[in-house]
Amino acid sequence: MRPPPIQDVDLSRTYDAVIVGSGAAGGMAAHVLTSKGMQVLLLEAGKKLPVEQELRSMEWPYQHPRRGDLPPGSHALSFNEYTIRRPPYARDTAFQHVYSYVEGWGGADYTKNIVVDEKDHPYTGTPYAWVRARCLGGKTNIWGRLALRLSDFDFKAKSHDGYGEDWPLSYADLEPYYDKVDLYLGISGVKENLPHLPDSLFQRPTKLTYGEMRLRERLGAMGRVVTPYRAGVTTDGLKHNKYRSKCFGRGACRRRPGGCDIHAAFDSPTGLIYPAMDTGHLTLRTNAIAREVLVDTNTGKARGVAFLDSQTGSSYEAKAKVVILAASTLESARLMLLSRSRQHPDGIGNSSGHVGHNFCEHLMGPSVTGLVKELVGKPHTLDDGRPGGFYIPRFRNLKERQPGFVRGYGFEGNSGHAMFPPGALDTPGFGAAFKKTVRDHAGAFIDIGAFGEVLARYENYVDLDPEVKDRWGIPVLRFHYQFGENERKMAEDMVATAREMFQAAGIEEVGVSREVLTPGWSIHELGTARMGSDPKTSVLNQFQQSHDVSNLLVVDGSSHVSASCQNPTWTIMALAWRSCDHLADELRKGNL
Amino acid sequence: MTDERKEGEERRLSRRELIETTAAALLATPLLRTVPGMGRPAGAAPRFFTVAEYRLVDELTEMVIPADQVSGGARAAGVATYLDARLAESLERDWQAAWRAGLAAVDELARSVAGKPFMEVTPPQRLAVLTRMAAHESSPQTPAERFFQELKRQTVRVYYTSQIGIHDDQQYKGNVYQSGEYSGYDAK
Repeated sequence: MRPPPIQDVDLSRTYDAVIVGSGAAGGMAAHVLTSKGMQVLLLEAGKKLPVEQELRSMEWPYQHPRRGDLPPGSHALSFNEYTIRRPPYARDTAFQHVYSYVEGWGGADYTKNIVVDEKDHPYTGTPYAWVRARCLGGKTNIWGRLALRLSDFDFKAKSHDGYGEDWPLSYADLEPYYDKVDLYLGISGVKENLPHLPDSLFQRPTKLTYGEMRLRERLGAMGRVVTPYRAGVTTDGLKHNKYRSKCFGRGACRRRPGGCDIHAAFDSPTGLIYPAMDTGHLTLRTNAIAREVLVDTNTGKARGVAFLDSQTGSSYEAKAKVVILAASTLESARLMLLSRSRQHPDGIGNSSGHVGHNFCEHLMGPSVTGLVKELVGKPHTLDDGRPGGFYIPRFRNLKERQPGFVRGYGFEGNSGHAMFPPGALDTPGFGAAFKKTVRDHAGAFIDIGAFGEVLARYENYVDLDPEVKDRWGIPVLRFHYQFGENERKMAEDMVATAREMFQAAGIEEVGVSREVLTPGWSIHELGTARMGSDPKTSVLNQFQQSHDVSNLLVVDGSSHVSASCQNPTWTIMALAWRSCDHLADELRKGNL
Repeated sequence: MTDERKEGEERRLSRRELIETTAAALLATPLLRTVPGMGRPAGAAPRFFTVAEYRLVDELTEMVIPADQVSGGARAAGVATYLDARLAESLERDWQAAWRAGLAAVDELARSVAGKPFMEVTPPQRLAVLTRMAAHESSPQTPAERFFQELKRQTVRVYYTSQIGIHDDQQYKGNVYQSGEYSGYDAK
């Protein structure tokens, strides 16, 4: 189904709302507000891509001139570059284009127009692997699809262990909105009745492999859970959405930086934005780089957004009754800091001084690879025809208190045959014996990697670099960010419990990685404009509305009070839906 | 949701759905390539390697992944041809130099083991040379050992992304529209 035609933006009118950013948060805001009849302008900094032509999900590697690799002159940053050097990473490079590490995975040529060129988008400060996608839909075009709910173990974490702040809302407040997101966008999974990982309204679950079934059975005896990947993918189809197909288990999901050209996996354009455009209430302006939130000099309220055209560099102003930031955790913070005025000298919405602070995310790196020996030499089966493998939910610091660290972590895992034989690059030797070993073992590997909560700390923050500017002359972010003792202790525990679980399941350990990856690796940055009840220590109220500026909302991950260890996308969308519902009520009541 | 689902009806890929999704895929890929892109016509001169180097690469890659009863090897999969094309277009001088120097190191080692360049010694002597190169695979010391790492990594990557590697050797079953019962086990 072709996308609806783009309407011309009318900059002489005052829209009901202008939204900055078209990813999960901005797409959801556009959906909710247009469904209530509001006239909405959506600004996206990047292009609208013919994304199916970019992704070509079913093209075989040998049908591509470079087997999916980037063309000469393009370079993806490596772990070593992120570790040894400091940003800006593309400074003094001989390469024509430099991309973040995700473009170092196989098949990067299919996603090179989705992610940004680091040369145009520098940043400074401490090492950080900042992955950005500037195009319609943002990172939802290539996201990992794991769609999890948070629980009161997260929302009320301070009450539980004394660290940080509670969220100004509870699971009961958000549950109806998680349900709405499930039903509107589709999610696959199995009910497990876990208080710390609430179930969704699931469509057909994906299946487990033999090795995963064994792990599930054995871990069950330890009180731990192996559940099929809770994928933000419609497996049964969505009758209300003509732009998306159901999942047919084609299995392209595991072999590229991401993307689904039949849109069974959620992405913001087909899931939210195109249906919103079909209401007739949404105007989309792409190549529109927001430069500043404009302020009414009499009232101090937001009156619109100043933006640059990314192609021509020309400046424009869009006027609206409400400004909604959804540019991503770091870009929304940057935009608030850029929006200085007489009333808001430290940036709009920043009277607390907390904008850019309490920056948190998920720790990655510790992982274990094992071998399910019974599978060695067995006939090859179709194991990767699914949007993801499996998930082991958090089990630390729930009932008992863990020594050494607070909060928890979960594991993502995968196993079985894939298009590129697992283990092939790590099998020693050469010749006929090597070839047979690769063939016999390819389906027998299983691996799990942890995602842990990084604590929100005031001293982890971003601010504006006083000198460095991006290609459009806009000051860039400077990072002041590092992991602490809690993260180090947690990482050690991740390795220990991963090994213990494989041992319990009789899976032979063949590889252990203890190294913590560069901050940013999880692409789950959060917290730079947190919600809270106290305007002195938080930026937004529970409806993601600025304490300082009542007609300014920030509906992306920057609003999260803590990172939890569960992947954030589904929570971002549930929160945005709830806040936009509330916003529409407030507008109707004349409270803004 | 899943509880009420009528298994057979829901899971079977209907003809209409198949046509819709296939049509969408075709629409999306107007320039669908059917020919492996980066080859060169049979018999054409190599672009990066000299003729002698090319013959050496072709032999070395075939020795890393040889033909067996199940599938063709690196030679049949066109690994040397592909590598020649990638090296020829590359802008990375270090990478190109590493290949030139690595191939020279192979001949050097062959001379020290058997008195002649690699391609002029007997098959058992070639095997002895490659075995020496692979001796410290995880922590290579000599130029020839370091080159083995690169030779093998590239051979593995190219072979297992080829038609022969994916379909004949791995018998890969995916990258298809599944219908009916999906593969795997139900988590119960």
